[in-house]
Amino acid sequence: MNLKATIGMETHVELDTKSKMFCSCEVVETDEPNISVCPTCLGLPGALPVPNKTAIEYIVMLSLGANCNITNEGMFHRKNYFYPDLPKNYQISQFDFPVGVNGFLEIVLDEELHSVEIERVHMEEDTGKSVHIGSGRIDSATSTLLDFNRSGIPLVEVVTKPVISTSKMAVAYIEELRQLVIDLGISKGKLEKGNLRFDANISVANEDSNELGTKVEIKNMNSLKSLEKAIDYEIMRQSKQIEKGESVIQETRHWDENKQVTISMRTKEGSADYRYFSDPDLPNMIIDEEFINNSKKNIQNLPLDKRKTLKESGLSLSDSNYLDKGDKWLYDLYLSTVENTKDSKSTFNFLTGELQGQMRKAEIDELPDWVDSEKISNLINLFETNEVSFTSAKDILAKLLGEDIDPKSYATDNNLIQSSDDEEIKTLVTSVINENQDIVERLEDPEDKLVGFLVGQVMKSSVNKVNPGSVKDILLKELFG
Amino acid sequence: MKPSELFEQVYETASYTESVLHAHLELFYDEGLKLSKESDKRYTKNESLGLLDGIPIAIKDNINIYGYKTTCSSKMLSNYVSPYDATVVTSLKKAGTIFTGKTNLDEFAMGSSTENSAYGPTKNPWNPDFVPGGSSGGSAAVVSAGSAVASLGSDTGGSIRQPASFCGVVGFKPTYGTVSRYGLIAFASSLDQIGPITNTVDDTRIIFNEIQGYDSKDATSITPEYTKLENKKVKVGILKELMQEGVSNESQNEVNKVVNLLKEKGHDVTEISLPLTEMALSVYYLIAPAECSANLSRFDGVRYGIREDASTSYEMMNKTRSVGFGEEVKKRILLGTYALSAGYFDEYYGRALKVRSKIITDFKTAFDKVDFILSPTTPTPAFGFGEKTKNPLEMYLSDLCTIPANLAGLPAISIPTGLSENNLPLSVQIMGKPCSDYSLIDFAESIEEMVEFNFSPNLLKENNES
Repeated sequence: MNLKATIGMETHVELDTKSKMFCSCEVVETDEPNISVCPTCLGLPGALPVPNKTAIEYIVMLSLGANCNITNEGMFHRKNYFYPDLPKNYQISQFDFPVGVNGFLEIVLDEELHSVEIERVHMEEDTGKSVHIGSGRIDSATSTLLDFNRSGIPLVEVVTKPVISTSKMAVAYIEELRQLVIDLGISKGKLEKGNLRFDANISVANEDSNELGTKVEIKNMNSLKSLEKAIDYEIMRQSKQIEKGESVIQETRHWDENKQVTISMRTKEGSADYRYFSDPDLPNMIIDEEFINNSKKNIQNLPLDKRKTLKESGLSLSDSNYLDKGDKWLYDLYLSTVENTKDSKSTFNFLTGELQGQMRKAEIDELPDWVDSEKISNLINLFETNEVSFTSAKDILAKLLGEDIDPKSYATDNNLIQSSDDEEIKTLVTSVINENQDIVERLEDPEDKLVGFLVGQVMKSSVNKVNPGSVKDILLKELFG
Repeated sequence: MKPSELFEQVYETASYTESVLHAHLELFYDEGLKLSKESDKRYTKNESLGLLDGIPIAIKDNINIYGYKTTCSSKMLSNYVSPYDATVVTSLKKAGTIFTGKTNLDEFAMGSSTENSAYGPTKNPWNPDFVPGGSSGGSAAVVSAGSAVASLGSDTGGSIRQPASFCGVVGFKPTYGTVSRYGLIAFASSLDQIGPITNTVDDTRIIFNEIQGYDSKDATSITPEYTKLENKKVKVGILKELMQEGVSNESQNEVNKVVNLLKEKGHDVTEISLPLTEMALSVYYLIAPAECSANLSRFDGVRYGIREDASTSYEMMNKTRSVGFGEEVKKRILLGTYALSAGYFDEYYGRALKVRSKIITDFKTAFDKVDFILSPTTPTPAFGFGEKTKNPLEMYLSDLCTIPANLAGLPAISIPTGLSENNLPLSVQIMGKPCSDYSLIDFAESIEEMVEFNFSPNLLKENNES
């Protein structure tokens, strides 16, 4: 039996607004509890919600960025359920009329493009935070503390259709969505801060079947790595059950990071009844053409556009996808550097391999002020034209990250410029041949590994100032004619 | 009379009426006296803040005043002290008003007799064997008894007008959205509206003027553009559906009396029919409980109010809500929860919304032909204690005439016009189109002059004579 998996993603994006969704409390990032609260976000009797216009603009921007149709008259609904950190015991959300519907995001897997269809983009208010004392879980805690700083922070929920087939694809989708919200400037997009939180709905069915299998919802995946592992685990778990002839139970499961397994949280008998109804405290959201056009003004250079520009510079799809997801400075640096180097692949490799690698090692987050595309492209050109060796280029880069130097002058001043003077190389080669007669006698053909050893000896005697390519050419000519 | 003298006078009245009526849940004597003396000084210095400076006004105990308890007459909030002022309270404070205290109500404003208060019922000043109406029974009784010059109530299905009618005073429910709901503890958000209860229509005008207007803290608040009457002679419609079986002859007679007076003055009176009015009660008893079922979810013992001990948080919430809420409140939460449940939503809540929008359209059409609609305020005068508690449907029927204005968001005023056979007040209700509040008040004032209602409650007479 050949089985296939179908995955749908539900992602909550925390918006980066100054104030909360329905009150003027500041959105704060702090461990000090309950310092940014008011009657509205505490659900005190008599307090009322007033919508945050910027948050609605952000949701419209995200909907447009995800190629959705915009609902011109959106509605706020109450989603009713009891939970101690939900102050009103209902959450203001959207039901029938979400802001965005029927969109898609283009994602890259290796060298292929895929489209992930988006079912809806809607607004929700965040809940407070429960801190369970005695254990991390509510059922075994001895007491629970509540922090309402997070209560009422605007969230957008982005729901895909069940169109994702692998864990890698799910990860690529989240990466694309994350980059989209960062490029739109509507969220910090930090996974480790919970700015993006995702659940996966996974079902497994016979490959030939037109119907989906039983849906299982997986929660508590805090990183892309755990998302990938949880999906792989869950597909395997469900597949095994189906192969054994057992049926999969519709339920919510919890990813256990320590045990690397999914654990049943509760069985869903049908779906929970949230008794959605239009919130009588809030008039309908009128999103007219003018509002949409104003929101459009703030949308530029999305991942898709960046990818196009990168591909036009000569990069492959996957390299373009890598750079459009990276930091903005790296993307900008690449584009201005490649103007002068003309070699997209080697520029990409040098920036993502050497530059980022050295910065990581040196624990530098930002490029020093004096490092600009001119210096970097000069440096790349130095080793591309064999004026310095790659090893020297790496040394120069390390120096450059520490102080303001001109790569070319530094190479000259420090005798790093390679000689391409054949006569000088010939002299060195001759003396190395003479000094290593025993090895020369053992040489059988030009492919012999010992040729490399001799090249190394020449380089050593020149203190790396000659071009290894030229050395090899001359050496072989001397030895084999 | 100086403000502090006026305050001492209403407090003196309260001191002998309260023991019988139980209309105030709390009296703010010390602070009231202090503030009224400050008001004295302003008058002396000719720096009065306006017509309401120094006027003692009572506030229904579902409206928040900073630093005081707001109990909603519920055990649930027996210990709840509000950390903020309702917008109407802020407005009245700015106008120099003195608060006499908080008044009794049916728990969470659910009821028509004040019998549902967790702190015991309020009595009718005209006869303590009868109910004062509800839910703003305390607010109506204090004005009628003279233990406050005026009061604020809230009206979801008649909760200002019905008790005002039972107590022989003026009660006004403004156009939905003209008075901010911020700080009013919600019963049914799309129907709730704060309004004044007063002795005269002029007092109503003064208070409404102070509390109305756009409030950025209430998203349903509007910037009202009040309509004006073009002619002195107005067109009045008599609503046929509220002048038939189900409404007592006594109540109908008051309307007929006013009709004759209006005709004498040359106004144009015609009968109109809005058949859907007969469905208003059913629609109301789906929409109001549905909204209240969510509005009252926040009372869970987690952050404020009472808390029952239990071993888990869910058990704690369950126990707290079982102990904290009274029977009527629980009944409505259950009803509303049911009406919103999957599988029943379309049949109940969804259908009620459709009829409601049809009712709104019907009123709109009616107001193309007439300026005001006249009806009784209540089907009967005040009823006795316990008379309707066993039959909720009969209790609900006492709001028959007042509910349509809430469903359509219309301004409506009740003014006393006469006494029943057993010496209890009777009133008429006048409804206007949205934002006709001031012209409605003007028209009500002209009727007030025509009917010359000059009676006062027995309770006061007895005490004055003694």
